[in-house]
Amino acid sequence: MEFLQAKQKQDPDLFLHRMWIAGQPVMLAGYFSLIDLPQTMMLLQQQARHAADSERPLSALASGLGERIDRADEQAVFTAISDGCLLVVPEAECFEGYLRIVPVSRTLSRSIEAPTTESVLRGSASSFNEDLDTNLGMLKKHMLSDLLRTRSYRMGKDQNRKLTLIYMEKHTDSSLLKAVCRKIEAHLDKEIPDLIALSEDVFEFPKWSLVTRFNTTELPHNASAALGQGKVVLLLDRYPFAIILPSMITDVFSSVNDRNYPLLLANAVRLLRIIGVLANMLMPGLYVALVSVNPDVLRIELAMSIAGSREGVPYPSLVETLLLLFVLELTLEASIRLPKSIGPTITMVGGIILGQAVVQARLVSNVLIIILAATTIASFTAVGFHNAITIRVPKYLLLLLSAIFGVLGLFVGILIVSAYLASVKSFGVPYASRWKNKRSPNG
Amino acid sequence: MNAKLPVRIALKSMTMAGMLIVLCGCWDIRDINHRALPIAMGLENKEGIYRIHLLIPQNTQSSSSVRIVSDKGSTINEIIDRISKDLELEVDLMHLKVIVFDRTFAERGLGDSVSSFMRSRDIASKTIAAISDESIGSLFQTLKSTSTTGGLEIYNFFEKNAGWSPQLAQTRIWQIFQSLHSFTKDVAVPIIKSGESTTMTSTGSAVIKNGKMVGRITPEETLLFNAFNGLSAQGKIEVMNHAAVVIDTDRLSHHSSVKGGRAVLNSRINLKVTVLETKGSPTTAMVKQELEQLLTQNFERMFARLQAEGADILGVGQFFRNRIPRDRLANWRTDYYPRMKLNLTFHTVIEDEGLLKMKP
Repeated sequence: MEFLQAKQKQDPDLFLHRMWIAGQPVMLAGYFSLIDLPQTMMLLQQQARHAADSERPLSALASGLGERIDRADEQAVFTAISDGCLLVVPEAECFEGYLRIVPVSRTLSRSIEAPTTESVLRGSASSFNEDLDTNLGMLKKHMLSDLLRTRSYRMGKDQNRKLTLIYMEKHTDSSLLKAVCRKIEAHLDKEIPDLIALSEDVFEFPKWSLVTRFNTTELPHNASAALGQGKVVLLLDRYPFAIILPSMITDVFSSVNDRNYPLLLANAVRLLRIIGVLANMLMPGLYVALVSVNPDVLRIELAMSIAGSREGVPYPSLVETLLLLFVLELTLEASIRLPKSIGPTITMVGGIILGQAVVQARLVSNVLIIILAATTIASFTAVGFHNAITIRVPKYLLLLLSAIFGVLGLFVGILIVSAYLASVKSFGVPYASRWKNKRSPNG
Repeated sequence: MNAKLPVRIALKSMTMAGMLIVLCGCWDIRDINHRALPIAMGLENKEGIYRIHLLIPQNTQSSSSVRIVSDKGSTINEIIDRISKDLELEVDLMHLKVIVFDRTFAERGLGDSVSSFMRSRDIASKTIAAISDESIGSLFQTLKSTSTTGGLEIYNFFEKNAGWSPQLAQTRIWQIFQSLHSFTKDVAVPIIKSGESTTMTSTGSAVIKNGKMVGRITPEETLLFNAFNGLSAQGKIEVMNHAAVVIDTDRLSHHSSVKGGRAVLNSRINLKVTVLETKGSPTTAMVKQELEQLLTQNFERMFARLQAEGADILGVGQFFRNRIPRDRLANWRTDYYPRMKLNLTFHTVIEDEGLLKMKP
């Protein structure tokens, strides 16, 4: 009791509220910010009244209200309070220990909304939010199966973040599951404020990696499909994405939502995404290679029109391309930062006015504007924003190699990128391999 | 983890990047707008002195024009080098599409210049060769003055998916080079001159034997030449006494043999034709017979002339490469070809009579 009062002096958010339950004086302890106190008190009173009606003493009542915590266990008391539980401290000496009660808590999470980074045209459109239990519930709703298993962990020493691992019995590869569990259990003391911490400290993935080893999704539908495929899903409290392990290269090109379309269309769309990703990586390099090093590859008409459009451009094509790519990257980055209401304005200023002006000022050729606009659009055909950012990087390598060795350099660059992708592995599953489904529900 | 490892990796990658930048030689790269990309080259040779004309398209964002640059000297590369020096651009011959030779030059022999084109890497071996019936200077002036698309006309004139027609031979530099060294094949090079209402007109093809122009064939004969070489004669209209037909497809089969030291080639050309016009009311049999007769006549006349010139532009010698031993094949042009017997049969199928019926 004394230590609670001492704690309250440090932390005014902690309340110690006195009330009577079933004729007994008790002290309630908890956080104002997490507990809806009037509602909770009403609830308590109600329950006490029921108990009084059936003429049971408080000690008996206690066992029906909540969990008992030993009076001496200070750590458990604080954990309970910081978890948002209500602590009932009976003042009567006859009752040993405290009671930990699940109160009516304040609503501190968003309601379930449509996804913000993944748009769904034909499929379930509710998305995860910050509350782990809500997320888990949504996932369970999507996956009505008695094979679903969850394991819950508390990560970190000072911060205590909840992590839930979900998998499907009989579907998930046991070696993958074991590897994931072993990593988590070996690093339970690590704080995970962000995904990098999860990646580096818990799963010990290499620090300098171009490819994200987690496939994140905002959609319970995607997460449940991954579970069905035998992958492992992690839910992190206060993180509105499900983390799917392992991440595969096919995730860049195919989304679960594709399966709501006829197969022919779905495959056509996937092909389009592959072309889009390739176009994004190759086009700037190809432009530089063809304009500077190997113009002989171009058709004469194209060579002439490009030469015409570059008339009076002061910089070599590499500098020209880098200049415009830089502006485009700035536009992209700025439009993420900007409030939604100003975003379109910036796109307009960046895209149309700047593009037009830069051509009229003869700083870059208008063919390059076309190419880079197509490049930027193409980069977002990749599924998932994390993948769209990933593929933004290798094009600079290809650009540089193309500027030096022309078309040959471009192909060497493709080789390097392919070799890198082939070398990436997570939990023994090669990134560039095709995910083999252990037991698919539909064969 | 080894504490020195990141340092080592950083050092390694810096060395690699440094070597890449220092050793690549990329500072010699010129952007496309700093290169002159001639589309056609005219080549004259008077008493051992070459004169080169280059037709260079000049495009800006809004307009396109052509300029002609010419110079003379004792070797082709020396002239190109001098032009490059005097021009504000670097001359880059990789987009050269057509090389036009002066007729008198062709009659004296193209061997040296074609060999040097094949030797140097800066001219594509697929460049089309042509022979000018007028002075190259005036031909190029016409090309320049009538050009609306930056000098592309001469390229489109020969381009199969643009303005090419089956009356025009299409011969690449490598084919001339091949004929220089082949026992059994000569080439026909198109002859062009500036036209009256069109930019250019073709007046037939030059018969080139061992690199020298020895005769010429008419555009109509060039059509037969193309048909014999399997270059589709599609769309060619044949006018006869009673009908006009368009040839849709042609297919050839050959059978060669050597009898008593004399080469014999039996060739059969299958034609599928569509009737376009008739005069009077001929039957299909009449039309077929007339067409076969006409084609056979024309072909035999041309072949007889070619035999007299000893130039095997049809490449019939190719069919005897497995019949005649190599040491004797070397004399194909002199021993066998002039005495060769060609039995040519045309077989016609009237595929389509148009919307009106004909008598069978």
